[in-house]
Amino acid sequence: MKFLERQLGDPSRRARLKLGCYVGLAVVLLADVAVPLVFHEKHTISFESWPAFGSVLGLIASVLIVVVSKTIGKLGLMRRETFYDS
Amino acid sequence: MTLEWVHPGLLLILGAWVLPFLKGGSKRAAMLLLPAAAVVVCVYSGTVLSPDNYGKISFLGQQLVFGRVDALSLVFSYVFSAMSLVGMIYALHVDDDAQHVAALTYAGGALGVTFAGDFLSLYVFWELMAISSVFLVWLRRDATAVAAGFRYLLVHVFGGLVLLAGIVLYANAHGGSLTFDNLGDSQHSLAWTLILVAFLVNAAAPPLGAWLPDAYPNATVSGAVFLSAFTTKSAIYVLIRGFPGTEVLVWLGAGMALYGMVYAVLENDARRVLAYDIISQLGYMICGIGIGTQMALNGATAHAFAHIFYKALLFMSAGAVLQVTGRRKLSEMGGLYKTMPITMGLCLVGALSISAVPLFSGFVSKSMVVSATGDLDWQASLAHRNIVFLLLTVAASGTFLHTGLRLPYFMFFGEDAGLPAREPARNMLVAMGVAATACVLIGVAYPLLYWNLPHQPVDYHPYTAAHITSSLGLLAFTGLGFCLLRKQLKPQPGMCVDTDWVYRRLADPCLRVLRGPLTRFEFGFVGQIYEYVIRGPVLGVARWLCRFDSRVVDNTAMGAGRWTQMVSGKLSTLVSGNAQHYGLIMAAGVLTLIVLAMFAR
Amino acid sequence: MSVMPLIAVLVPALGALLIACSGERRANVREFWSVLSGVVLLGLNASMIPAVLSDTALQCTLFQVLPGIEIAFRVDKFGLLFALGASVLWIVTSFYSIGYMRTLQEHAQTRYFACFALALTATTGVAFSANLFTVFLFYEALTLITYPLVAHKETPEARAGARKYAIYLLGAAKVGLVAAIILTYNQVGTLDFRAGGILPSDLQHPELLFLVFGLFLFGFAKNALMPLHSWLPAAMVAPTPVSALLHAVAVVKTGVFCTLRVFLFVYGEEAMRNLGVDQLALGAASVTILVGSLLALGQDNLKARLAFSTVSQLSYIILGAALLNSNGVTGGIAHITNHAVSKITLFLCAGSIYVSTHKTEISQLSGIARRMPWTMAAFALGSLSVVGIPPTSGFVSKWYLALGTVDRHAQLGANDRFSLMLLGVLLVSSLLNAIYLMPIVYKAYFEKGFDSSEDEQIREVPWMVIPLTITAVASLLLGIFPEPVLIFAGSVLP
Repeated sequence: MKFLERQLGDPSRRARLKLGCYVGLAVVLLADVAVPLVFHEKHTISFESWPAFGSVLGLIASVLIVVVSKTIGKLGLMRRETFYDS
Repeated sequence: MTLEWVHPGLLLILGAWVLPFLKGGSKRAAMLLLPAAAVVVCVYSGTVLSPDNYGKISFLGQQLVFGRVDALSLVFSYVFSAMSLVGMIYALHVDDDAQHVAALTYAGGALGVTFAGDFLSLYVFWELMAISSVFLVWLRRDATAVAAGFRYLLVHVFGGLVLLAGIVLYANAHGGSLTFDNLGDSQHSLAWTLILVAFLVNAAAPPLGAWLPDAYPNATVSGAVFLSAFTTKSAIYVLIRGFPGTEVLVWLGAGMALYGMVYAVLENDARRVLAYDIISQLGYMICGIGIGTQMALNGATAHAFAHIFYKALLFMSAGAVLQVTGRRKLSEMGGLYKTMPITMGLCLVGALSISAVPLFSGFVSKSMVVSATGDLDWQASLAHRNIVFLLLTVAASGTFLHTGLRLPYFMFFGEDAGLPAREPARNMLVAMGVAATACVLIGVAYPLLYWNLPHQPVDYHPYTAAHITSSLGLLAFTGLGFCLLRKQLKPQPGMCVDTDWVYRRLADPCLRVLRGPLTRFEFGFVGQIYEYVIRGPVLGVARWLCRFDSRVVDNTAMGAGRWTQMVSGKLSTLVSGNAQHYGLIMAAGVLTLIVLAMFAR
Repeated sequence: MSVMPLIAVLVPALGALLIACSGERRANVREFWSVLSGVVLLGLNASMIPAVLSDTALQCTLFQVLPGIEIAFRVDKFGLLFALGASVLWIVTSFYSIGYMRTLQEHAQTRYFACFALALTATTGVAFSANLFTVFLFYEALTLITYPLVAHKETPEARAGARKYAIYLLGAAKVGLVAAIILTYNQVGTLDFRAGGILPSDLQHPELLFLVFGLFLFGFAKNALMPLHSWLPAAMVAPTPVSALLHAVAVVKTGVFCTLRVFLFVYGEEAMRNLGVDQLALGAASVTILVGSLLALGQDNLKARLAFSTVSQLSYIILGAALLNSNGVTGGIAHITNHAVSKITLFLCAGSIYVSTHKTEISQLSGIARRMPWTMAAFALGSLSVVGIPPTSGFVSKWYLALGTVDRHAQLGANDRFSLMLLGVLLVSSLLNAIYLMPIVYKAYFEKGFDSSEDEQIREVPWMVIPLTITAVASLLLGIFPEPVLIFAGSVLP
């Protein structure tokens, strides 16, 4: 745990970690685009043949999920903890 | 009678009741030996025995099959028995015999359901599971848990009654036979619908599934681990057995996956997040059952298998945090990676598994179900396939978001809440370690799982380049979304309302009507009828009769008595003893006789 | 001509005599006579099993009042099942009564034990009656004999409750049964019980027969059909062993037994269907089942809740018989025994709680399982049986009843209007049973209470706990091995 504390506690280390994450994201995106072009696989589902489908969907979906869920919550799904205590 | 097969479920159920009579080391040894023995029996059944119906017993005029051994029941029996072992390791430190007996009985019941070859034995074990599992909630012994347990029990009793109705109707329609197999031939009949509904209650399908997020967070620390595995997965088993290819399940499953996801993103109680995630994952399995092709059913089975281990792991870590810090709400946690690093690490293994990260179990199981949407054996339009695929993939992103990222982040990282904590007891860590090992093992050495799936050969290869990159892309960019929207995802105090609102809100007014008007009608109205129409007149008549008796009858009797006395008084003068009187009387008598004799002619 | 039935009827009466002679001074001897009579009665009943199973007639005609009206006994499977159940439970209740009466130091124990024994005479008489006249005599005798038992406490409430008890039961019998019996004799010329009924196959005056059926159905008010059910909650003023007797051993079971005799041995399945009276019975039973359970939910007094539960459960038996098919009748008759065993457990537990803690309301029972583990464990097991969770005995009868409703649905085909509703009634009632019984169990085990220092003094009374454990285990065993009961129950309408 000392290792983790060192990594996450030190701001410069954290900045390096962040950079590493962005690099990783770029690599994944590139791979997601490139690999289907290299390995031709037959797909029944239309979406699977779209380039970088996973990555794009991941971003859009996560944002959409958070926005929609929070909205539904505010619209009445989310209540105070003591809601059922009469 | 040759003992060809020992029922592992009965082994656990009967063995559980031995536990209270043991003490100390021998009790702990028994707690581990019993589930281990069950694992051995299951493996033996799978490797040595040939698929057949064992344990046939005649009861109530029916032929019951307690031991239907085939590929499907075996694979579920492996994971159920293994889970019972892992759960008992986790619960080794708990000093409450009742919990251990309940947990083992519950696990035994699940094995009973798995091996049941007919509806009646299925029903017996179904009810046994409900009755034993409620104790795992009640034994927490606080007021909310007691109330939640009661609601849990009522929902399951209701589901059991619906199942019973379906079973008797099914038996009648099939000439009294109760064999439990594919119900496809009686689709949409009343019996089919009732049995499906009953199975879906246990599979926590909305709108009947609100019992799950209500009860599981209120269970004991070790109890929740057992609960997460057995009821819902045995429901999946019976659905695979009885309802493969039922189209409505495709849409219900996809809907469930999203339904659970929305709640899991919002909830604050850590175990409630996990509970809703169970519903989400069950959605995948039910969707696969609905698709019904061999690949889809294999996928549903594989997903259930993997899910048991990683969900148990997640419940174990949330339970460990609860045990050590006393906190259940994510809003009150944070920074625990410093004090509970091992727990955090193991929790992360579970989180990565559920998110279908390559090299973990979810990757080889969940994706099989999602790929089944593209299976050409499934008779569905391209539009339907695409929609279902899209919904399931969105839900996958959501899973990573709420359980893969949000839960561990706000539990172990995030703002340090400064909670005093330490690692939990060693047995709990060992149990978590075993489950984590299983998650990784299944992910890496997936043929071990695939060889046991019911429909061979398994024509699915998870580790293709396209699949790996696509999954990594989905996960990575979901992670980006999480980082961007971290503030929105911060747990807030509060609770989401689910469909149990209906009976939770209706209960009080109903009871008030029963205790008020209905009881008043019974005692007031009906009782008053008795009072005025019956009792009053009857007592009135009785009083009148009493008076009649005392005045008229008595007086008559008395009067008769007095008159008799008077007459006898008079008559007594006749007996005065005076000779002249006798003489006069005799003379008078003779004279009367002569006169009579003369005039009688 | 076999004297066995007559001896069986007279043995408890002889026991009563011996009990009365022993009196208050020789209490142990008196109790010995109680138990001995019970054992002898059970032995006599058991000895008749082989003959009855091989369909040998065990008859005994005492004397004839008019041609077709005689006092006669005949032992058949149905009657023997009832008599066996009553005699077994009498022994259990005797031991329990000893514990109850002595712990509370009750007054008038001799009267109590003597009346108890006489009640068994009347019950055995009902079980072995060969015709309506005999059954009517013993039925009325039972009411009269149980009156002092219900009024035992001799407080004003006890007298009022006993008065209601007597008025309802005697009143309904006089108004309903006498007329019904006379009219039946008039129409048929005999009052004998015969399998398949005694009515001629060409039913003349069907309206009259319908009316007579109604008079029988409500005249046997011991079956607690609504609206003539109020005597049962009113009789809760009795001491708990008497309640156990009322609910399980004798009184209510006599009511449904006689009702079923009328259904199956006077009217018969064909006549009932042709006259449409089965629908009357089904309707009355369904209403009673549901309303009884609903009323039970609203009661906080433990015995009152159990009383309404019994009102509801008795109509299961009537419903089963009125289904007029093999499964339904088997389920109904099996329920006579299964319910008796389960309900007696619950009542014995209620009494045990009262004796040890003097608590009567359910809201006072939080945490009591800490102090009374055996009692509450038995209560939990009995509750599971009443709800009908396998593998208890309650499930077995419920299974057959459910099959019976579905059989009726299939039998009537297009003409069927409410068989599936009957299935629904049974299942809704089971859910209601769970709703009003489970809280008692979880309150006792998982709520806080009874943990203060003076509660340490609370002890369970062994004389009472052993009988209730026996009956609780019995309700489980009868669920796992239901064959003995089913052989008898399934014989009436195969």
